[in-house]
Amino acid sequence: MAASCSTFPFLAQSEFEGACQDLADRCTSAQNIGWPAIRLLTKSDGTSLRITKYVDIPSSLEVPALEDLEDSQDEDPEALVRATPQPSLQIDYDILLSPTYQVPILYFGLKWHNHGPLGLDEVYQYVVPERYRQELKSVGVMGGISMGYHPDSGAPAFFVHPCNTADAMANIADAQSVTPGSYLLIWLGLVGHCVNLHVPRELFA
Amino acid sequence: MENHRVSLGSIQKAVWDGRLPLEIVLASSESRTFDKTDPYLIAYPRISYLPSLLPKLRAFFSTFLIEPNSQSHDGWFEFEGVPLKWHYPVGLLFDLYAGADPASKTAKDNESPNDGSSLPWRLIVHFSDWPDDLVRLDADGMVMNDAFINSVKEADFLRNGTAKGIMSLSKEDSSGLWNAVQEIDLLSFQRISSILLPQLSQPFRNVPIRIFLPLPLDAESSSLKVVQSPLPSSIPALSMQSSQMLSSRSGSTLQPQTVGTVLHTLLPNLFPSRRTPVLAKPVLHGAVIPMSAPIEEVVRSSSYGDGWAYIVVRMMG
Repeated sequence: MAASCSTFPFLAQSEFEGACQDLADRCTSAQNIGWPAIRLLTKSDGTSLRITKYVDIPSSLEVPALEDLEDSQDEDPEALVRATPQPSLQIDYDILLSPTYQVPILYFGLKWHNHGPLGLDEVYQYVVPERYRQELKSVGVMGGISMGYHPDSGAPAFFVHPCNTADAMANIADAQSVTPGSYLLIWLGLVGHCVNLHVPRELFA
Repeated sequence: MENHRVSLGSIQKAVWDGRLPLEIVLASSESRTFDKTDPYLIAYPRISYLPSLLPKLRAFFSTFLIEPNSQSHDGWFEFEGVPLKWHYPVGLLFDLYAGADPASKTAKDNESPNDGSSLPWRLIVHFSDWPDDLVRLDADGMVMNDAFINSVKEADFLRNGTAKGIMSLSKEDSSGLWNAVQEIDLLSFQRISSILLPQLSQPFRNVPIRIFLPLPLDAESSSLKVVQSPLPSSIPALSMQSSQMLSSRSGSTLQPQTVGTVLHTLLPNLFPSRRTPVLAKPVLHGAVIPMSAPIEEVVRSSSYGDGWAYIVVRMMG
């Protein structure tokens, strides 16, 4: 039985690193969980976890992408055999520990064949599932997703605001029983879904 | 105590009054007259952000622009080939990149020979070819406003342990804070930030400080090396003092965390001593700050508009 989180509702650096390692190991051993790639990045000043996903977007930019997105994220077997003439949108999600908030923070970047940099409009159109759009856009100065600089690469990246994470975790998880590993999964379930990163069922087993 | 408050306030006023002479030229590749375009000169507040200048610059250079359809929010700044990250105040960018000798108490004795070459600070403005490594601006300034408020939130969270202060700030006060910084309106700023700051009698839980490490200008990535760690305003007293103090009073003895104790703890190789800069010196608002300065006082008096003290490490010699 793993130990509970020492600074709950926050997560200590060593606990975060252990949980990332654990999640990466479990993804490697599980098959077909819908995340094409998961990679543990270890640097002198901290660990991060990168999950890469590909999302098909329709050839015409004017057509709202809702149905196609919903299909492709649901691991529907038919979606796999459907022809995809357009190169997909690559989303790199990076999970880091925020040095300010002491909770995990989700950064993500978009790459789409030879398209230039994509902005917040494209994030809401192609990444955020429709049912979360209004809610997410209505908070803060310009919504719950901001643009900033990736702490490791220094490149422009999007991130989901982490300032309420600790409160949310305190409401959801049980301080006595939550381990760093389950903390990370609960957090990912909480934050990931609004940017199309769904925790595969297999990981909760 | 009254004196103390007055002096923190007077330092803050000096910080807000601080200005940098800028000489801004239009990128020659974007000018009809190549490098013959007149420069734009301004004494610009150190705590201000560069994009606030863009509407004036766009108007000033409008007749020279080869691409007449560019807008002011297409504008970005470069210094010696480095695109400048606009979300940092210009004073910090200058301390990071200009290579000027920082002011210090001893500077008068050995007149700084560097002054002539680094001032005015010569920047290049572009209105085309936005670089991939900068976050794009938008027409109504929301991206800048958002970046500022996110930074304020982080500082607030560190000081109080929650971000409830800034979250519960009224919409007027929240936008008022950003306006006060843009307009260098210290009185309005003090009124709103007094809602956020803990009382003087109540120490910060952690002190919002980021430390920027020296970086060669020719580095391939423009990523800056930044060090940030939770920094309580007081730390357990050093062993010798504490053994004496413990006898008089039970429990743990605390002493104020200073610039020197922070640098020595986080960067022991660059700062082998807590008291004396040996290999490198800490620079804030263009001046060397004393190693003995308590960090909470540094932040209360000398933070930028977002509540952070951004300390630049300069190598000596």
